[in-house]
Amino acid sequence: MVMKNVNSAQLNRAFSQKVIYFQKDHYVEIKKENGIIIMPILEAFKKYKFIKEFFRRKPEEGYFIWVKKQIDFPLETCISICSTKVSQILTNLFIIEKGLKIKANTACMTEKDNLTGTHIAYGKIVLKENSSLEYSHIHKWGNNDEVSSDYEFILEESSRLSYSYSNLFSPKILNLKTKVISRNRSSSDLKINIKGINSKINLDDSVFLKGKDAQGIVRLRVVGRENTHIKGASRLIAEAAGKGHLDCQGLLTDKKSEISLIPELTCRDKNAQITHEASVGRISEQELTYLRTRGLNEKEAINLIVLGFLNL
Amino acid sequence: MDLLVKNLKVKADNKKVLKGVNLEIKSGQVQALLGPNASGKSTLAHSILGNPRYKVICGKILFGKYDITNFTPEKRVKLGLSLAWQNPPTIKGIKLSQLLKKISYKEIEISEGKELLEREVNLGLSGGEKKISELIQILSLHPKLVIFDEIDSGLDIKKLEKVSKIIKKELAEKGVSILLITHLGQILNFLKPDLTNIMVDGKIVCKQKDFKKVLRTIKKYGYEKCKQRAVK
Repeated sequence: MVMKNVNSAQLNRAFSQKVIYFQKDHYVEIKKENGIIIMPILEAFKKYKFIKEFFRRKPEEGYFIWVKKQIDFPLETCISICSTKVSQILTNLFIIEKGLKIKANTACMTEKDNLTGTHIAYGKIVLKENSSLEYSHIHKWGNNDEVSSDYEFILEESSRLSYSYSNLFSPKILNLKTKVISRNRSSSDLKINIKGINSKINLDDSVFLKGKDAQGIVRLRVVGRENTHIKGASRLIAEAAGKGHLDCQGLLTDKKSEISLIPELTCRDKNAQITHEASVGRISEQELTYLRTRGLNEKEAINLIVLGFLNL
Repeated sequence: MDLLVKNLKVKADNKKVLKGVNLEIKSGQVQALLGPNASGKSTLAHSILGNPRYKVICGKILFGKYDITNFTPEKRVKLGLSLAWQNPPTIKGIKLSQLLKKISYKEIEISEGKELLEREVNLGLSGGEKKISELIQILSLHPKLVIFDEIDSGLDIKKLEKVSKIIKKELAEKGVSILLITHLGQILNFLKPDLTNIMVDGKIVCKQKDFKKVLRTIKKYGYEKCKQRAVK
């Protein structure tokens, strides 16, 4: 799934063929696949008692996906808002069984940028022993939307997670919470790319290294454009002899925007190694002028610098 | 298209750097600009390209039929002006091939520096590699007039010869005007400028057709003597 320079139509087309869970406002379409149990979360909540361990409250809408056999295509889900003032409150549970290697793409988006929608998503993703997940999560919202996303990844022994979050267009308000619980020898690599345009954004990510030799890397890239305010807290908590690194970088492209990044390390095991780096800076005038002397106008030059920054 | 710089006075960081520069480059001409450090050569180059760091306080820059004194850099580039930077900045996360796709409407054949295409723009490049990268970008722009700001610094003699050959074949022989800003004489031996200008303390103090004579004078007496002896 290509994430860069994707517009809404391309996103729809890209997802149209292989989407196993598709939700428009509150209408749901499900495509059954061999080796995967997929159903609305409410149905699963009634059917499987163990789901109560993950969610205290009875869920309203959202999906339950349980991958039980190896599959050779990426699992795709798409949740969109296409009417005005729709409020989605989603609860999603995604379980990958032992030893499976899965790729998944999720898009959460609005069909138009003036629908004033609300999208609230709680999600738990469980990677059983020795499994791996390469997960791409894309958001594309409108100027008046409010979005809150709270995802928790539970990594059992020796499982591997590679997660990338990217927002193509930011909503008016975005609250993005990501939590990773890592057991023995599991590893997580989180890449979170945020482009804020005229937005208020709160980021909160935590990686808990709970098992021996667990590893966690967080690469946070945030760009503040056109009166955007971003607050980001990134935490790495070593409760066992694991390794981890936080890399938080922010780029401001105008005088009205603000970025506040707080990397936090907590070490509770003397054999753990955790490190961090953080920087926030304005866009370089020299780089801007350089690209303008290559014929790009100011907006094109900023877009290219931002694209490069998010690639780092 | 001819470039005409008339009595140009420019400030940078509140300091007067150019103090009345007059320069004319006819279409298809190759000219050189020499001068001691901090004499204003790079400031002139950047002012011609419209770098907003440099404020024009007096004078005009004309390119063809246009008065471009207040044009944005990109508008000047669209008209056919271009500048190979002396110290180009890095554009992290962007490969040279990506940049070329953005800036060029027509692909060019690259004989030198193919290995740079998949590297990030100017990141971790040697001095010589940066110059090759600049040259590739300039060729991609299909310009009418190019200012090379010390394209020869950091190049060994073989690379210098190669670069000079490319400039000659792809630009000079195709009628593109060239202004070579240099400290060293060797590139002039390869490209043989029609006119050599000497800049001292923010002004062009002499112009000379015979670049070898200029180089001899500078070597023997320095730039100040050149000001007194070689002006004609």
